[in-house]
Amino acid sequence: MLKVALRGLFARKLRLGLTALAVALGVTLIAGSYVFTDTINASFDKIFAATNKGTDVALTARRPIKIDQGTRQTLPASLLSQVSAQPGVAAAAGSVTDQATVFDAHGHRFGAGGFPGLVSSVSAVRRFQGSSIKTGRFPQAPGEAALDAGTAEREKVKLGDTIVVQGGAKRAKLRVVGTTQVAGVSSLGGAAFVDAVLPEAQRVLGKTGRFDEIQVAGDPGTTPAELADRLRGAFGREAVVRTGEQQARSQSSEIKASLGFLTTALLAFGGISLFVGAFIIFNTFSITVTQRMREFALLRTLGAKRGQIMRSVLTEGLVLGVVGSAVGLGLGILTAAGLRALFKVVGVDLPSNHTVIASRTIIVALAVGTLVTLASSLSPALRATRVAPVEALREGAVPTIRGMSRKLTALAGFLLVAGVALMCVGLFAGGSSSASLSFVGAGAAATFLGVALISPRLVRPIASAVGLPFERFGGITGRLARENSVRQPGRTAATAAALMIGVALVTFASIFAAGARETVAKAVDQNLSAALVVQSENGFSPFTPDVLRDISRVDGVRAVSPVRFSQAKAHGISGRVTVSGVDAAGFAQLYKVKMTRGGQAALDRLKGRPFAVVSKKFADDHHLRPGATLQLTTPTGAGRSVVIVGELDDKGGLLADLSFDTTYLERAFGEKQDAFGLVGLRPGAGVAQVEGRIKALLHRDYPATKVQTAQQFKDAQAGQVNQLLGLIYALLALAIVVSLVGIVNTLVLSISERTRELGLMRAIGTSRKQVKRMIRVEAVITALIGGVLGLVLGMVLAILFTQPLQDFTLAIPWGTLAVLLVLAGLAGVAAAALPARRAAKLDVLAALAYE
Amino acid sequence: MSFSTPEARVAGPAGSALVSATGVTRVYGEGEAEVRALDGVTVGFPAGRFTAIMGPSGSGKSTLMHILAGLDRPTSGSVVLDGIELSALDDARLTDLRRDKVGFVFQSFNLLPVLDARENILLPLSIAGRKPDQAWVGRLIETVGLGDRLSHRPSELSAGQQQRVAIVRALAAQPSVVFADEPTGNLDSKSSAEVLELLRRSVDEFGQTVIMVTHDAQAASYADRLLLLADGLVVHDGEAHSAGDVLDLLKAAG
Repeated sequence: MLKVALRGLFARKLRLGLTALAVALGVTLIAGSYVFTDTINASFDKIFAATNKGTDVALTARRPIKIDQGTRQTLPASLLSQVSAQPGVAAAAGSVTDQATVFDAHGHRFGAGGFPGLVSSVSAVRRFQGSSIKTGRFPQAPGEAALDAGTAEREKVKLGDTIVVQGGAKRAKLRVVGTTQVAGVSSLGGAAFVDAVLPEAQRVLGKTGRFDEIQVAGDPGTTPAELADRLRGAFGREAVVRTGEQQARSQSSEIKASLGFLTTALLAFGGISLFVGAFIIFNTFSITVTQRMREFALLRTLGAKRGQIMRSVLTEGLVLGVVGSAVGLGLGILTAAGLRALFKVVGVDLPSNHTVIASRTIIVALAVGTLVTLASSLSPALRATRVAPVEALREGAVPTIRGMSRKLTALAGFLLVAGVALMCVGLFAGGSSSASLSFVGAGAAATFLGVALISPRLVRPIASAVGLPFERFGGITGRLARENSVRQPGRTAATAAALMIGVALVTFASIFAAGARETVAKAVDQNLSAALVVQSENGFSPFTPDVLRDISRVDGVRAVSPVRFSQAKAHGISGRVTVSGVDAAGFAQLYKVKMTRGGQAALDRLKGRPFAVVSKKFADDHHLRPGATLQLTTPTGAGRSVVIVGELDDKGGLLADLSFDTTYLERAFGEKQDAFGLVGLRPGAGVAQVEGRIKALLHRDYPATKVQTAQQFKDAQAGQVNQLLGLIYALLALAIVVSLVGIVNTLVLSISERTRELGLMRAIGTSRKQVKRMIRVEAVITALIGGVLGLVLGMVLAILFTQPLQDFTLAIPWGTLAVLLVLAGLAGVAAAALPARRAAKLDVLAALAYE
Repeated sequence: MSFSTPEARVAGPAGSALVSATGVTRVYGEGEAEVRALDGVTVGFPAGRFTAIMGPSGSGKSTLMHILAGLDRPTSGSVVLDGIELSALDDARLTDLRRDKVGFVFQSFNLLPVLDARENILLPLSIAGRKPDQAWVGRLIETVGLGDRLSHRPSELSAGQQQRVAIVRALAAQPSVVFADEPTGNLDSKSSAEVLELLRRSVDEFGQTVIMVTHDAQAASYADRLLLLADGLVVHDGEAHSAGDVLDLLKAAG
C-alpha cells in the first residue's frame, strides 16, 4: 500500500511540487521569524556581554515601576564616592548612556528612519569600557567624540570631522577623534553610537550630576557575587545592585522584551500563510482523491481495507508535509535576511551578527508544517475510504460521494456564529490583552473557515456577476470559462477562499489605516487650536524644556504649552496608568478639550497640586468621579495620593488616562522632558514667518526637534500609519502568494481532468490563444470570487473591530479597495500563466484519446 | 467562401477530389519499435459523397482520417483539402482550417458538458466568432428532430440524442467535409440507425461530403463508397450497398 501511495505522489510531479510549495511558503515565515528574532537576540546578548565584561558589579537606579514612556531614573553622582569607599572595591566609575540624535556638520541626520542614536560616556577606568577603538583614539577632553565605525563608514565621517549631537539638552558640536566597535562588530544595526568623556556625555544628555550606572571592579579575592551582596547591603535602598553578568542579562532581556511583540507579530503572519496553505493542501487532496476514486475502488475490490486506503492517502500527506516543511525551513533561513532588509526599509534596523538556527526553530517548523498538512489531508482521506468497491466496475462518470452538504452547511453556520461570538468576547469583554488577542484570533480563524464552508453556495452567483463582462466581450471562451469555474463549486470555493483570507486581511488593514489617518486628521482639525506643533524629529523621543523656553522668546509667539507623558501604577487597577502633564494655565487655549465633569475651572485647579483630571474612558472603566482619590506609585518610587477634580473627553486622543499640571508631574513623577509643544501665535503674526524663525532656532540649537504646522503634523502622522501599513502589506503578500499557488494547482488539476474536452475544442478549431484566454478568464473569475469575498469579509471585520474604539472615525478607502480587486484579477492572470500554457500545448490527438 | 452553399459544391468540377491523399506514409516510433501505420496511401474523395473507411484494428484507418483532417501530419506524402496543401500549414493555420472547413463527429460524442445542446451546436461558429446562419441551423435541427431538447445539457440527453447533436454541430458551420470517427461505436442499434440516417441525409439533401471510419459493416452499408485498409494500404475501393457485401469484402481482405 505504501508503494501505491508514494507512486501516486510522484506520478504527478507538478502537483507534488505546487502542493509542497504551499506548505513550504507557510512554514517559511514561521522559520524565518524565529531565525530573525533569535539572531537579533543573540546579537544583543553578545553585545551586552561584551560591554559588561570588565564590570564585576553594576549599580543602577531603582525602578519602582516599569515604564516604557518617559525619563528613566538616574543615580546621584554623589553615590560614587560612597561606593568607592566600600571595602573590596578596587575601582568604581559612573557612566551615562541614553538616546541622542546624531548629525553631520551640515545637519544631515545619521541612521535611516526613526531609530535614534546613543551617546555614552567613556569610562575613566579602561576595564569598564565596553567598546574598543578601531581607528584613532578615545576622546580625552570635552568637545571630542568617538563614533562607531559602521556609522563612520556609512556616513563617510573622517577623523577630525565635526558631528552634532542632541540628547536631552541643547545640541553639542563634537570633533571625531576615533572610531569604535563593540564585541568585534563595527555596526549595531544602523544606529549611531557616540562616545564622549563623562562630563560632555552628561551635558549632552542633560544628566549633569547624575549617572545611569556605577560600574564596580572588586579587589582580587572578592567574587562579584560577594561584592554585589556587600554593596546591596549598603546601597540596596537607593540602587539596584547586580553582578556584571546579571547586568548583561538584564539589559539584554529588557531589549528582548521590547522586541517580543515582533516575534509574535511575525509568527502571526506566518500562521496566516500556513492557514492559507492548509486550504490549498485540503483542496489538492480533495481533487486528487476524487480523480483517483476509481483507483481506490479497485484497491478495495482487490481486498484493501478502509484503513489501508486511509493510510495510503495520509502517507502522501505526511511525505508532502515533511518535504514541504523542510523546504520551508530552508527558505525561512534565507527569509530571515529578507525580513531584516524589510524592517530596514521602514527604518527599524536591527543588529545581527551570525544567523542563529535554534533547534526549536527546526522542530517547530517541521512539526507545524507536517501536522497542518496531515490535518488538511484528513478529510479527503476519510472520503477516499467511503468509496464503494463496486464503483471500480462502473463505467462512465467519476464516482461521487454525496450526502455531506447539509451537515457542512450546519457546520459552516456554527463556525460563523462561534467565530463572531469569540471575536466579540475578545473585543468587548475586556480582560488581559493576550487573552483578548487569542479570542480574536481564534474567532477570526473560525469565521474564515465558516465563510469558506458556505462559499460553495456563493460561487455561482458571484461567478455570474464577475463573469458577466467576460461573457459579454469574450464570447464563447468567456462563457466556457465562467461555466468551468462553477462546475465544481466546492473546488472553486476552496481555491478562492485561500485568496479570500489574504484579501480580507489586506482590506481590514487598509480600512483600519484609513480610519486611523482620518481619526488623526479629524482630531487635529477639531482640537488643535495651536498654529504650530513642536515634536522631536522621530516623533517619540522627549526633548528638553529649553526648546519651548527658547521658542517662547521668538518674535510672533504668544504662548507655548508643553505636554509631557509618564506612567504610574494605581492601587486597585491592573496594568499601567498613562499620565500626561499639561500647563494648567495655557493648555486650554491651544488645545480644545471638552470638560465633561468639573468644568473648565478643573484645569485651573490643577496648578502644581496633586489633582488630576481623568479621561472619560478611564473614568467610565474604573468608576472614577470627581472627588475620588487614587493611590499612585510613580516612576520615582514615591507613593502619592491624588484627587480627581474633573473629567474630560479628549476626542483628539492627545492626553493620557490622568492629566496633571506639568510642575506636579516633574515633582512627583520626575519627568523633566517635553514630548509635545503647542505654539500659539500673536494676533497678526504670519504663520509662515514665525515657523521660519522657529525652524532657524531649532536648526541652530536643537536639530533633533522639529516644528510643524497642523497640516504637516497630520501628514506626518498619516505617513507613519502608511509605513506600518506597507509593512503589513509586505508580510501579507506571502499569504497571497500561497493562495496564488493554490489557483495554479487547482487549474492544473482541473485541466488534466478536462483534457478530452480541451482536445475536442482544439479539434474543432479553437486556437491555442483562445484556449489560453479561456483558462486565464477562469483563473480571473476564481481570483475575483476570492477578491469579492475577501473585500466583504474584510469590511465586516474592520467595522466590527473598530466598534469598541472610542472616537475612531471609520473611513472606507474605496479607491484602495477597487485597486485591490483589480490586483486580485491580475493575480489570477499571473496564476493562469503556467496552466494556460500547459492546456494550449496539449496534443490534440492524444487529448482526444485521453481516458 | 465559394463553397458556402451545398448546391455550389455539388456543381463543382466532376471527378475532381475535394480531399486527396498522395503517397501518404505515417511511421510511429523508431528502430525496433517502428510501426508503419500508413504505407504510401493515395486516395481521393470527391465532393458530395459518403465514404466509409473500414479495416481491421491496426490497419491505419484512424490514422488516415486524422491525417486527412489535419489532426496529424504524415511522415511523407501530401494531403490537399479543398485546394489547400496541408503540409504547408503551421499549427495556427491548421487550427483555422479545422475550424472553417472541417466538421468532426467522434465515437464518444465529445460534447461540452457545461453547454446545452444549442450552445454545443453553435460552438464551432462561436469559436470562429461567426454569426450562425439561422435558417440553416433551424433546418438542421428540424431534420434531426431535437427541437424540444435544445436547452438540455448533454447529461440530460440519451446517447443517440447526444450523437445527433454532435452531427448537427459538425454540419452547422457548413464545412467542406465532415469526418466521423466510429460515430456509432457507443450506440445501440436503433440509435445507430438514426445517426447513420442523418449522415446519409446530409449527403443526399445538403450535398455534404462525409468520410466515416467504422468497423461496423452495417454502418458502412449506408455509404456510397467503401474503402478497405489493411496493413497501411488500400486493399479495396468500390461501391458497397449491403452489409453482406461489406462482410464478404472484409473477409477477402483478411
